[in-house]
Amino acid sequence: MAKVQKVSIQEAVSQIKDGDMLTFSGFTIWRRPMAAIYEMIRQGKKDLHLVEVNGGTHSDLLIGAGCVKIWESCWIGHELFGKIGGNLSRKAENGEVVIEDYSHVQILYRMAAGALGIPYMPTYASLGTDMLNPEYDHLGKLGLRDGSNPKIPKKKYEIAKDPFYGSELVHIPACNPDWCIAFVQMVGEEGTVRVEGQLYSDEEAIKASDNVIIVAEQVVTEDYIRREPSKNLIAPHQIDYIVELPWGAHPTGCFGCYETDGAFLSNFFSSTRTQEGLDAWVDEWVFGVKDFNEYLSKVGFERLETIRANPALGYSTKVKRGKR
Amino acid sequence: MANHEYAKQGEFKPIDLLAVAAAREVNDQDVVFAGTGLPMLAIMVAQLTTAPNACCIYEAGSVDGKPISLPSSVGDPRCIYQASIASGLSDVFGQLQRGVVDLAFLGGAEVDKYGNVNTTAMGKYGIVPEKRLTGSGGNSDINGLAKKTVFIMVQEKRRFKERVDYITSPGWKIPKWPSGEMVHKKEVYNNAYRGGPEAVITNMGVFRFDENGEMYLDTVHPGYTPEDVKESCSFDLNISRVSGETLPPTYKEIELLYNTIDPEGIFLP
Repeated sequence: MAKVQKVSIQEAVSQIKDGDMLTFSGFTIWRRPMAAIYEMIRQGKKDLHLVEVNGGTHSDLLIGAGCVKIWESCWIGHELFGKIGGNLSRKAENGEVVIEDYSHVQILYRMAAGALGIPYMPTYASLGTDMLNPEYDHLGKLGLRDGSNPKIPKKKYEIAKDPFYGSELVHIPACNPDWCIAFVQMVGEEGTVRVEGQLYSDEEAIKASDNVIIVAEQVVTEDYIRREPSKNLIAPHQIDYIVELPWGAHPTGCFGCYETDGAFLSNFFSSTRTQEGLDAWVDEWVFGVKDFNEYLSKVGFERLETIRANPALGYSTKVKRGKR
Repeated sequence: MANHEYAKQGEFKPIDLLAVAAAREVNDQDVVFAGTGLPMLAIMVAQLTTAPNACCIYEAGSVDGKPISLPSSVGDPRCIYQASIASGLSDVFGQLQRGVVDLAFLGGAEVDKYGNVNTTAMGKYGIVPEKRLTGSGGNSDINGLAKKTVFIMVQEKRRFKERVDYITSPGWKIPKWPSGEMVHKKEVYNNAYRGGPEAVITNMGVFRFDENGEMYLDTVHPGYTPEDVKESCSFDLNISRVSGETLPPTYKEIELLYNTIDPEGIFLP
């Protein structure tokens, strides 16, 4: 088994090639590998193909910055802090990004089938919806299902009778992204991964992917993380690179470490409703700092301290969240 | 002081009535799938009043949490405080597909008379969409596979349509692909058919579905007439079965909403 390499975020991200297929850890605005997103934009990645169980601030930013060509998923937005993924909407409406829609379960099962090493997964989910309308098979319509790209299945889905009980189901093709970039709380120095709180779809995303970059709040000794193996999610042989980068999910949240930075997300949402706004935001927050540490200095100690989680609860008790 | 009397008009906000009307759809011991926002308020009102044994599942992976601070989304760490398990999508959507979810609360941008809901795009859809929305999320899976679903929506003429621009979430009459022929949901879901949209609750009324799967007005909220509601609907709404006025929230429910459930004012004004 190849040894896991501990690298910088710059080195890890430099392994990703233009046109590669990517997926991520987390859920909407939680535990997203934001530091890696900033670095991908800095390195000028192009034509990326995102396949994710759901989108969020990370993918809306990457799309807005012009790094993405295809987005296959089911949802994008910033939850309470921005109802839609405004950058994806704009890019799609301008014909600059292609969307392929699946439902939450369907896209999850694409990843789960990939993780299990099987070609497809049957499900009842989302039968009778326009996600199955052949008119909206966008990759097919663009001629991208001709088999020339092994990462794009020849069909969006197939409706077929199960051979055992005679019910009709949707068969959803497996997905094996070139890369999963996951942000987690803890990783051992040899690559054992521990995720705390809700697991979202991290296990499927990591196991389905050909190459995995783990960006962690903390790297600990293998001896320490192996004292309680039942708390761990992924073994080292399924990991390629580890990067230690505290606060690396900011402005998204991370269970037990910090709260979502809601004010930051609201500001991102409202100031990036136009391409000019997005470009200015990227100039300030991505190109305007030399690396993630400088970004954190710009965010500021006080702000980070306010969102820091209380260890007894897993979230911050100091952050002002509502209107009262 | 808090009591069980119904509040009078002017003493509650439309959003209070929405949350409370939704809460009344929960039976004790129901397994409930709820999303971010109003659905969270509704399940918590139900658990604190008539349905203390209802179990709440959030789609990011928390089961039966007892949050002491209102989660701002389903992925929030607050969801798993005192939860029985913190798992992931695979587990909770597996439970949904397995048929254990009794009731789900959902939202949408558009709804049609069969309860088909759109959260994907407005206007013409295609490789270059006219107006892209947020996408399906779990809406379609949950509406397809829970025993009952309840939609909480804003009442507007352009949102209550004869036919939604994109069927994100399956109602009672849906297309059977690949042909696209519109048939009853039962025919499409066959062995996994277990129900569908039970009610749509808006700021003007509560709608239900008849034997043919068509929407009708069940109750109107205080301050509106059935005709007002019909006016705010693009299709010819059936108002012949109206059973009366929607019950207002009680003083106790209002107090729970503002003082216990959402004291920070995250979703409530």
